[in-house]
Amino acid sequence: MTLVLEHITITLNNQPLFTEVNLRVEPGRIVTLMGPSGCGKSTLLSAIFGNLAPCFRLSGEIVLGDRLLNPLPMEQRRVGILFQDDLLFPHLDVAGNMSFALPAGTHRHDKKQIISESLDRAGLSGFEHRDVATLSGGQKARVSLLRTLLAKPQAILLDEPFSKLDQELKQSVRSFVFAQIRTLNIPALLVTHDPEDAPDEPIFNLGAGNA
Amino acid sequence: MQVLGHNALRFFPYLTLLAFFAPVVVGLFGTWIPALGYLPAIGSKEFSGRIFSGLWLHPSFPKAVWVSLISGVAATCLSFGLSLFITIQLYGSRFWNGLERTISPLLAIPHAAFTIGFIFLISPSGWLIRLVSPGLTGFTFPPDLITNGDPYGISLTITMAIKETPFLLLMIMGGLNQLQTKNIIWVGRSFGYGTFGIWTKLIVPQLYPLIRLPLLTVLAYSLSVVDLAILVGPSAPPTLGVLIDQWFNDPDLNMRLSGAAGASVLFTITLLAIFVVLLLELFVRKTTTGFLINGKRNYLVDRMQWSARMLSGLLWLTTLLSLLILVIWSFTHVWRFPSAWPTDFSERFWQKTIPLLSEPMLVSLSGGCLSTLIAVILVLGCFEYEVYRGRTSSYSVGRTSRWLIYTPLLVPQIGFMFGVQIVFTLMDIQGSWLGLIWVHLIFVLPYVFLTLAQPYRNYDQRYMDVAISLSQSRLISYFRIKLIMLSKPILFSMAIGFSVSIAQYVSTLYIGAGRFATITTETVSLASGSDRRIIAVYGLCQFLLPFMIYSLAIVIPALLFRNRRGMQN
Repeated sequence: MTLVLEHITITLNNQPLFTEVNLRVEPGRIVTLMGPSGCGKSTLLSAIFGNLAPCFRLSGEIVLGDRLLNPLPMEQRRVGILFQDDLLFPHLDVAGNMSFALPAGTHRHDKKQIISESLDRAGLSGFEHRDVATLSGGQKARVSLLRTLLAKPQAILLDEPFSKLDQELKQSVRSFVFAQIRTLNIPALLVTHDPEDAPDEPIFNLGAGNA
Repeated sequence: MQVLGHNALRFFPYLTLLAFFAPVVVGLFGTWIPALGYLPAIGSKEFSGRIFSGLWLHPSFPKAVWVSLISGVAATCLSFGLSLFITIQLYGSRFWNGLERTISPLLAIPHAAFTIGFIFLISPSGWLIRLVSPGLTGFTFPPDLITNGDPYGISLTITMAIKETPFLLLMIMGGLNQLQTKNIIWVGRSFGYGTFGIWTKLIVPQLYPLIRLPLLTVLAYSLSVVDLAILVGPSAPPTLGVLIDQWFNDPDLNMRLSGAAGASVLFTITLLAIFVVLLLELFVRKTTTGFLINGKRNYLVDRMQWSARMLSGLLWLTTLLSLLILVIWSFTHVWRFPSAWPTDFSERFWQKTIPLLSEPMLVSLSGGCLSTLIAVILVLGCFEYEVYRGRTSSYSVGRTSRWLIYTPLLVPQIGFMFGVQIVFTLMDIQGSWLGLIWVHLIFVLPYVFLTLAQPYRNYDQRYMDVAISLSQSRLISYFRIKLIMLSKPILFSMAIGFSVSIAQYVSTLYIGAGRFATITTETVSLASGSDRRIIAVYGLCQFLLPFMIYSLAIVIPALLFRNRRGMQN
């Protein structure tokens, strides 16, 4: 599955936020989007995710595999997202958070198995019934990613997901995230301020619209 | 949303307006037209101003207007002054934190139950005098004093002030949470300002716009309250609200016209009073700009913390004692006058009263549950529609919609209930469950809306976005994530809505058409002239219902989320 952005522009009050974007993200690749703050990086992500605020106008085509995403509502896009906040649901335990992401028809026994295997992979064995509020920052980030991946997204968006972690944690969470994305072989788009966050892959610079 | 699409959500604001706003407007017209002489049902078909001019000839009317005006304005000033004084003196102290935690249970106590307990305290044969008699006073008979129901409305004023102060305090607390109060105080201190200087010059000018509407509702309520005025108000002549109520219930049907005219006068008075407050605000704003920047930093009033503690303690104590005395009286068998304590206890009056109470309790409970449930569904629909309209960027409501929500709380109930009665009769829902629930919704809806607005609008919508992308369903995400994450404020707003419904007196009487006796209508109608022990049982039961629901609203989330730290505030 490839994520393709063709002739993408976003305007606010008829002012373009950035110069036209043409971008292709192959499966298993992570393209980094950089640019000065306020240039519309996060806005571009929400356009792909499907929750662009109504004040913005989007033109161009967003294609994922053979599906044109533009007309589809959020729930049909199969695009996962990670923010700098973990956004784990505070009323559910770790397993509850993860099982929310599994398809509705999954058998209870299978759910248990999938969750425990997935936690094993992240070095979080036995964390099923932990209250998410009691996890450390790194653990929360990991569970959040696992949760996103369990929903089997066909592309994943990373909106500065490491910016709230301290320097040491950043390193390990980053490599964990990148490794998982590569294993799943889906395209990923990373927005960041920190050039160090970028994997050894192409960096796409978002140009200012009025320049 | 597949099922509950934008299209369905679009109707919620209209349905909500129909539920709470339309009846007020229709009710006002339905009151004004008879006030002008047109009420075909009793054969009056001629428009004229005769009824209005006739009002002033009525022996009780001018005095009733004055008593209402004075007690209403005085109660409002007292409670506003008191709540501001307590806030300024105590904010940030441990005492204040204690107030913050205990204030909402204080509000759960229905006006009628509190008032009855308060009368049992202060009346000439009340507990306070008994406690010091005959030792200090020498009284062996209740003294010939009028401490409740006095002709000047002093006891009424004090009762209203005591009951409204916690409400205003709660509103002030909400407002202060919206401002960055701690930082403002910090900045003020760094410039060498004392507490009073910081509050009057920096905080109150920002706080006032946030509590203006709650203050105006206190004013409108105090000017027009009926049930409280029946209990502690003056009787000959009574307050305007009570006088109008008597006219509406007069066996002489022609008095309906006077009632309608009186109601219109009360409405006008309330409107004028609100207008005067707004003018005063403008005046204070214009004239105090010099004071705000004159640089004077320290004022004598800074050293009055102890008195604020005492006042708020007294407020609390009065309320607790009022409840306690209800409990004592309800279990009393014999309690002769100057004894400080009943000589004989028995549970006989509970046994005797409970069979009589069960039906009104059931009516109150079902009415409260139904109207609250409908209100919360409508309000949730409105807020969710707002999210779709992309208005989540700021959580302060637009000016017009705020006034709209407040309308039923600013218009005197007795000023439009007669009109609602007429229209409901034409619609054939007078005296039906539909009518009763609808009329309760007029008041339940705004309170549910106002208590839920801030938590709902502050909800981090990214949780929903993530949930939708994970579950691929908006409906599942809404019900299993957003609604549950918000369950605490939702339950709390329902508890408020429920207690508003329980406390309804005028609306229940007028729309119930005698077919619905609630615990509140029964309690108020019994309170004058019945046995104290029976009244105490009624008052306590009136308190019991909202108390139960408040407790549930606190206990249920505490139990459900006892192992979820992220759900504890």
